[in-house]
Amino acid sequence: MQRSRFLPQLGLLAALVAGVLATAGARAADDPDKVPADPPLHPVLDPHYGDVLFEFYQGRYFPAITKLEVSQHFERMQHHADEAEILRGGLLLSYGLHKQAAEVFEALLARGAPPSVRDRAWYFLAKIRYQRGLMPEASQALARIEHRLPEPLEDDRRLLQANVLMALGDNAGASKILTPIAGPKGEDLFARYNLGVALIRGGQVAQGTAILDKLGQQTMPDEEGRALRDKANVALGFAALKDEQALDARKYLQRVRLEGIASNAALLGFGWAADALSQPKAALVPWLELAGRDASDPSVLEAQLAVPYAYAELHADAQALKRYETAIANFQTADADIDATIAAIREGKLVEGLMSRNPGEEMGWFQTFRDLPLMPHARLLTPVIAGNEFQEAFKNYRDLQFLGHNLADWHDNLGVFGDMLATRRQAFAERLPKIREQGLANGQDIAHLQQRSDDNAAALKQAEDAQDGVAFADANERELQQRLKRVTDTLANLPPDTDPSLAEAHDRLRRVAGALAWQLAHEYPARVWTAKKGQQQTEDALVDARAHDEQLATAQREEPAHFEDFARRIAELDARLNILAPRVTALATEQQAALQEIAIVELKAQKERLAAYTAQARFAVAQLYDRATEPKEGDHAAKP
Amino acid sequence: MLNLTRTALIALGLCAVTALSPVFAADTPVPAASASAPVPAAIAAAPAQEPAASAATPATGASAPESAASAAAASEPAPTGSLDDRVQQTKADVIRLNRDLLVLEEELLFPANTQVAVFVSMDVGLLFDLDSVQIKLDDKVVTTYLYTPLEVQALHRGGVQRVYLGDLKAGSHEIVAFFTGKGPHDRDYKRATTIRFDKSTEPKYIELQIKDVQQKLQPEFDVKVWQ
Repeated sequence: MQRSRFLPQLGLLAALVAGVLATAGARAADDPDKVPADPPLHPVLDPHYGDVLFEFYQGRYFPAITKLEVSQHFERMQHHADEAEILRGGLLLSYGLHKQAAEVFEALLARGAPPSVRDRAWYFLAKIRYQRGLMPEASQALARIEHRLPEPLEDDRRLLQANVLMALGDNAGASKILTPIAGPKGEDLFARYNLGVALIRGGQVAQGTAILDKLGQQTMPDEEGRALRDKANVALGFAALKDEQALDARKYLQRVRLEGIASNAALLGFGWAADALSQPKAALVPWLELAGRDASDPSVLEAQLAVPYAYAELHADAQALKRYETAIANFQTADADIDATIAAIREGKLVEGLMSRNPGEEMGWFQTFRDLPLMPHARLLTPVIAGNEFQEAFKNYRDLQFLGHNLADWHDNLGVFGDMLATRRQAFAERLPKIREQGLANGQDIAHLQQRSDDNAAALKQAEDAQDGVAFADANERELQQRLKRVTDTLANLPPDTDPSLAEAHDRLRRVAGALAWQLAHEYPARVWTAKKGQQQTEDALVDARAHDEQLATAQREEPAHFEDFARRIAELDARLNILAPRVTALATEQQAALQEIAIVELKAQKERLAAYTAQARFAVAQLYDRATEPKEGDHAAKP
Repeated sequence: MLNLTRTALIALGLCAVTALSPVFAADTPVPAASASAPVPAAIAAAPAQEPAASAATPATGASAPESAASAAAASEPAPTGSLDDRVQQTKADVIRLNRDLLVLEEELLFPANTQVAVFVSMDVGLLFDLDSVQIKLDDKVVTTYLYTPLEVQALHRGGVQRVYLGDLKAGSHEIVAFFTGKGPHDRDYKRATTIRFDKSTEPKYIELQIKDVQQKLQPEFDVKVWQ
């Protein structure tokens, strides 16, 4: 429950981004309660920024941050420069990179970002400082926020500020901040809980108790709320027990659900409340229920001692003795179980088991455990695994595994890039000179073609100047001209007046020649236009060819340098990869050892508790035997 | 009675202290090393140290981040400090390396003078439940993409998906996009949209937009050419 309250850290960011995309209100420089407005923003003005959001909204934060940085490198997100930086800082923060995130936000502030961006930067800086335990600095950053932040960031800012104040010992200040959001109409249950705690810690016990009491009776819509209600009731119940207010304690504790995170503590406390009211029989009810539960919880172990104590109080010495002996046997079994678990942890089964039973594809802080590892007495580890320290360490381990796979993939890719570059370089070195040489050999070089084009242009101009339609005759017409010439020659060689039909032939020749001349003259303008157009196309094509040739020449001259540059970059990146990959592997090993140590330390503490409980049980058994052998009036039970 | 009192008070004291702590503090993930991590006391007590080189923020817009970064990497010693500090520093280094590798990949495989990127976005999108997109460039299928509910949700929230990244030579080209899904009244819906565009020596970004036309109660598919 506690984690899930802040799981939406990035959800918060998402809402923040979405809020910024949607809002474009009036500037409110003189009204600190209004959200300051930046220049109006349209939803997405740079598609690459939208692509980052696409990854981000799916919870794929690693691709989101890498794509974001790549697009920043290529300057493809100029319309969203500040928003992209806020997002980048938030993503870095989500990976626990406090220093880098702080640098991003500080840079935003230094370059005079718009007010809303500045306020959010101060908020995130305050959060970073709070997480690093720098409370005065966090307080200073919070004080720099000038305007109300967009929802739901504003409530979180207040919660953060209240927590910072509480950490600085200013509980009254914290309750003052929390009151507006945790008042009668306050929706934020956590703010109300924290307000209650702040008031009690600040000495205003009655007010704090009233708030927690009200929270403890509220109908909750979901599991998170119900768990918080249980937590409030357990807190109140144990506080009442401490103040020897057993009736109040019973009232609070009986509100706690029988199944839930707080149920074991509530059952134990409920029994103590009954005992404090001299009702050992009533105390037996919750304690017997509790004693049968999973022994990994210290409350259950304590209940196993409390049950025989209650029997003894009821003068049921035989049952008490039997229960004490059962408890001692259970403690010994549990002790052996812990030893087996510690051995399994040392063999690496804990981390391996958690990884295999809870696979995850992403880096990030909110991976949750769905299943316990398959190993001896894994349930003993439930409280350890649920702890913040273990979760954080495991997150680091999982992140390192993710990064190890990422680097291995890149190692393969870089090899492919190298091969691709070599192939490209070889093809380039072999094919380009050949193409250019081949063109020269075929007389297809640009100069030769240009000469031919120039000749054509000159001929065209000459024909156009002379208005020479014959110059534009097509193949049929040229053949017809040849035939006419042959006929003309033939007729010229014949003796005149030898044949009366010759005159007719001359006449027909004249008419045909005239028709051809007319046709050529008629077609002349269109043909000139077509020829000029063709000539222009030729010249345009020659310009393109020259440009391409120039590009080829440039490529031939410069591309080897580009290839060299790529090769150098590949080599450098490969070197960095080769430095980082073993570092990641070594850190993963170290992190695994640290994880195991966290679990073992906790299990050893459980062993110590068991030893203490066993000693108490043995002492109680001895007292019972003493009482049996030397009965004294008025003496009752041995105490655990 | 003495023993009972002691046990009870220990239990009460522990529980009460635990219970009466603010929720927010426990909620916020804290680096393991800043809590009681099993590290040598001297290291744990020392202030968080990070190598100076880590202060170098990514040089956005720099022409060759690799050179600077690699030079830094070459001279950068392995991070020191607590385990958590070293892990965080290494994470930062790997993120930076990923950026440089992606820049290299893009410049090598999709150089600016031939690069074409196709994006898909959704404006409202209530009238169309997207299942898949197929894209043809110059009559050749270059990508077919099936959407998960999470991806559709990301589009609804304002995300823009880069569905295709490739190369095209300069000149005139045609893109055809086929959208399939559920239209109004939960009916199967398949629509295509097409546009001709000129590719210069600059990168070309094409956005396929799915919009709602409330007047017609029909989805509409547009193509926007960014450059």
